[in-house]
Amino acid sequence: MAGLFNWHARKSDAAAAVAPVAAAEPSVTTSKVFPKFLATLSQKPSPVLVDVGGVVGANVAFFGERLACRLVVEDLVALVEAHAKRPGGDALSTALLKQLSALEPDSVDGVMCWDLFDYLDRATSQALASRLVKLLKKGGVLYGFFGTASAELTQYTRFIVQGPNSFRQRPYAATPTRRHVLQNRDLAKIFEGMLVTESVLLKTGTRETLFRKP
Amino acid sequence: MWKRDEAVRPPQPASSPSPGAVPETSTPRVVDASRHSHSERDTVNIGKSVIIKGELSGSEDLTIEGQIEGKIELKQNVLTIGPNARIKASVFAKTVVVQGEVHGNVTASERVEIRDSGSVDGDLSAPRVAISDGAHFRGSIDMQKGVQQGSAKPEVPKVGEKAAETRSATAPAPAVSVAAASGSSGAPVR
Repeated sequence: MAGLFNWHARKSDAAAAVAPVAAAEPSVTTSKVFPKFLATLSQKPSPVLVDVGGVVGANVAFFGERLACRLVVEDLVALVEAHAKRPGGDALSTALLKQLSALEPDSVDGVMCWDLFDYLDRATSQALASRLVKLLKKGGVLYGFFGTASAELTQYTRFIVQGPNSFRQRPYAATPTRRHVLQNRDLAKIFEGMLVTESVLLKTGTRETLFRKP
Repeated sequence: MWKRDEAVRPPQPASSPSPGAVPETSTPRVVDASRHSHSERDTVNIGKSVIIKGELSGSEDLTIEGQIEGKIELKQNVLTIGPNARIKASVFAKTVVVQGEVHGNVTASERVEIRDSGSVDGDLSAPRVAISDGAHFRGSIDMQKGVQQGSAKPEVPKVGEKAAETRSATAPAPAVSVAAASGSSGAPVR
């Protein structure tokens, strides 16, 4: 009988250990760099902002209220995922550049890259970064995250802006990809023509970086 | 002596109404019927099997479940693009709710809403934009102050629109007009 009670106790302990994992909330990141990105854009009248991640309704509302901007959503992450599922066909860099072809050079005030570059190889990163630099106006800014450790990436992240200095990260499934780590010198090289104005290493091992086109 | 006085006879409950009497239940029935026809008149539906190529304009709320190619203009009304709808058109309305698929620019003087089943490839222009989780969107969203109010209104009102508005004010017929429509599969516009 005592053994039976012990079995129940062990079972409830195991359930308690599992429960927090099952009910894991999306993590919240506090940012020191994002407020500076916003501050730069808020000085511009009716800025044009490009988001290369998937559309997030809360972000649309946030940027609309804060900046009264024109927000261009180019879901390049979806393109990366489609390419990872079916690797044949056009090179990924060709597809990415084709998707951005509707945007004129020197027409954009801000770009939100989020963590897109973690999922790209070196050549594709180089091609995309060059294109984004061309799209930016003088004084334009680019905001992104860059992982610092090589790892197998099994999920994408949706960044949901909660306020000027914090956002929630909501992961969703991805076709496994190896992260191509970009060191500071690599970033300076692929984003040639841009200045790194802020770079903060977060506790998660991710580098949060703000570039400005001089 | 035993003849009953008819004058003091207690009134008998009427087993059947007299021919001229109006039944008590008839009034609510009439109200229900009028309500039903009123609600039918408020929103016009375009069914799943309908294909329209051309210009669609009107002055009543409209729900589309079919396919439209061209232009849709409901400048004072709500346009709902249903889950089965496939639209390749420029859309102008007061409020646009997208549950289906839209390829084209959407302009609203009040609000654009893309529900989770909705997909838009095109540019949005509205003072308020709501996009649900799971919705697909690719294009630009113009929320710049002072742009949207004017952009949703066409500069020159067309003769067809005027006629539609007048008809709606005087008669119960739906005031949605289709110009240069072709390729309909024959299903009626409900």
